[in-house]
Amino acid sequence: MEKKFTSEKEWSVAMRINHWAMAISIFVLIVTGFYIAEPFTVSSGETVDKFLMGNIRYAHILFGVFLVFLFIWRVYLAFFSRFHADWKDFFAWADMKMTIDQIKFYLLIKKEGPEYKTLYGPMQSLAYIGLFFMVFVIVITGLILMGAGYHEGFTAVAYFILRPVEKMMGGLAVVRYVHHVFTWFFILFIVVHIYMAFWYDAILKKGTVSSMISGNIFKKAKE
Amino acid sequence: MAKGNNSEYRKTIDKQYKELMKHCQLHMEQVEKTLPESKEDLHGLLKERGLTRRDFVKWTSVMTAALMLPPIFKPMVAKAAENFSRIPVVWLHFAECTGCSEAFLRSSYPNVDDILLETISLEYHETLMAASGYQAEQNLEKAVKDFAGKFICVIEGALPRGLDGKYLTLGPKGKTGIEVAKEVASKAAAVICIGSCSAFGNIPAADPNPTDCVGIKKAIGVSTVNIAGCPPNAVNFTGTILHYLMFGALPALDNLGRPVWAYGKRIHDYCERRPHYDASEFVEEWGDESALKGWCLYKMGCKGPYTYANCGKVRFNGGISWPVMSGHGCIGCTEPDFWDTMAPLEKPLPDKTYGGGEKTVDNIGIALTGIAAAGIAAHAVASGIRHKGDK
Ligand code: HEM
Ligand code: HEM
Ligand code: SF4
Repeated sequence: MEKKFTSEKEWSVAMRINHWAMAISIFVLIVTGFYIAEPFTVSSGETVDKFLMGNIRYAHILFGVFLVFLFIWRVYLAFFSRFHADWKDFFAWADMKMTIDQIKFYLLIKKEGPEYKTLYGPMQSLAYIGLFFMVFVIVITGLILMGAGYHEGFTAVAYFILRPVEKMMGGLAVVRYVHHVFTWFFILFIVVHIYMAFWYDAILKKGTVSSMISGNIFKKAKE
Repeated sequence: MAKGNNSEYRKTIDKQYKELMKHCQLHMEQVEKTLPESKEDLHGLLKERGLTRRDFVKWTSVMTAALMLPPIFKPMVAKAAENFSRIPVVWLHFAECTGCSEAFLRSSYPNVDDILLETISLEYHETLMAASGYQAEQNLEKAVKDFAGKFICVIEGALPRGLDGKYLTLGPKGKTGIEVAKEVASKAAAVICIGSCSAFGNIPAADPNPTDCVGIKKAIGVSTVNIAGCPPNAVNFTGTILHYLMFGALPALDNLGRPVWAYGKRIHDYCERRPHYDASEFVEEWGDESALKGWCLYKMGCKGPYTYANCGKVRFNGGISWPVMSGHGCIGCTEPDFWDTMAPLEKPLPDKTYGGGEKTVDNIGIALTGIAAAGIAAHAVASGIRHKGDK
């Protein structure tokens, strides 16, 4: 009667490092980003001794550049990971029947979700495509905002390439606003993302949450 | 090693500047030969207005630096200024308020730039000319014919494209603005757009833009030099003409047609309040203690971080002041569609509201996050019931 579980490797080390580095960066970027958007005043002390906005901008831009490279790395892994190049898994939603079954499972209409062979479930794949798009937009708008203030090295090259994008979007003010709106998309994503990770854990009992740390996920052993 | 490289670098630069200088001298000679005689004596005028030789010399150094040229070019700038009135100018007005002309021509405390602008050889200017009706029309035709390929066409104001352009008709023959602009611009040596209306459409083109106004470039498809601003700084116009006189070519432009020497950096990069921004010292309310201390106007809606212009460097009214210095944030008037993209002008960008109410992105974001949290709580409870006893 007892059920057997086997532990299988689901995520490579690179994936896990990438995931948590991205998670930390995004968290820092949201906090510092909101300070940049709606700062509070530091009234006491002499101007020369204070540099709060300067430091926060520094942190934001530093983690912003991290995110740029983490994103490039993640895209690279999607295509060239030696463990599991997962770019095809992002299209799990293309199987419509399965997607509908998955929605029914999420809405608690069905008790069991469909068996998918891809790394991500159909809804999950949609969410991550959306997320990749979000990271892409925030990285591009971030690089434009950065290039507006710094004119050397990597930033200058990026800005030279992206200046037409700035013009197309309608100027720095629009770029900045889009950057701000996408911050909210990230917050919404994170709320649902973390809940779903725990929900999976509770319902499927595969150890989803810990899998992003240990790399291993539990699967029901076949008789 | 680095030093060696440095001097090598210096040598190349010096050589390039020498070549540029030669080119400049040759071109100025050419100008003196081919363009009509100066109608005005600049130095006489300066004296008349109480400006000394010293003021003029000082102005040449400032202008040379503003144009990003080394000091050896000072005599050339002075010479170009003396020849300023040789360039024939046709000045057209379309959908606008004439504020740019007003700002250029009516300073109560004229400096060299203003006087220079007075010497400008206006062959046609609708606000300033005495002629009207058919006579004015003839003047325009004559100027365009006499100086074909030599004159500079300055345009103030946007062009409405709605109703086949008939929202704006001019003169006794009732030509549309688009027709006039096309006729004149096609014969001009260069088209310079003064102000954000002619450059990008600006307020006449602001949402919902009932007359379908656009900037000159978009309306008639010619390339233009855009001296953006609402109004722009006279220095940016005179500097561009001086550059044209000195080198026979227009200055380098950014991808919006604005001269890089004037619009290459943001207000925020030149701002004298910038140390207060970095130190998190913000004005929170008009006239509060922080305002008295000259702190940063970011929270009062300053759009300096999104605006390319040199206002803080060259200032207005003979270098006396500029908007941020006088205590009001930048409104971003040198950027395309600033009336819409920079709104609300006296509040930070994220305070833009939707649906006529008080809803900002942040209000909407908080509401959506709340809804998501409530949905999650309900889903968690429902899941607990539905999957009770699962193994
Ligand atoms: C998830 C990622 C990110 C979030 C949540 C985020 C959030 C924000 C927010 C809320 C602002 C203020 C916008 C406003 O004033 O309305 C901002 C500004 C900015 N962000 Fe980001 N950002 C992210 C990624 C990036 C990246 C990848 C870069 C650069 C590569 C970047 C560079 C900047 C810059 C340069 C500014 C303007 C700061 C200034 O110059 O004053 N951001 N960000
Ligand atoms: C309980 C914690 C979490 C678990 C178990 C978890 C799990 C996962 C899993 C399984 C994936 C898909 C793998 C992948 O595509 O790489 C993923 C992707 C992602 N997660 Fe998380 N996550 C957690 C927390 C967070 C947090 C707090 C953030 C952000 C602040 C975050 C940001 C991301 C991002 C940006 C991706 C997509 C990028 C990518 O695919 O590499 N995650 N997460
Ligand atoms: S006043 Fe405006 S331009 Fe000056 S530092 Fe503050 S935000 Fe920047």
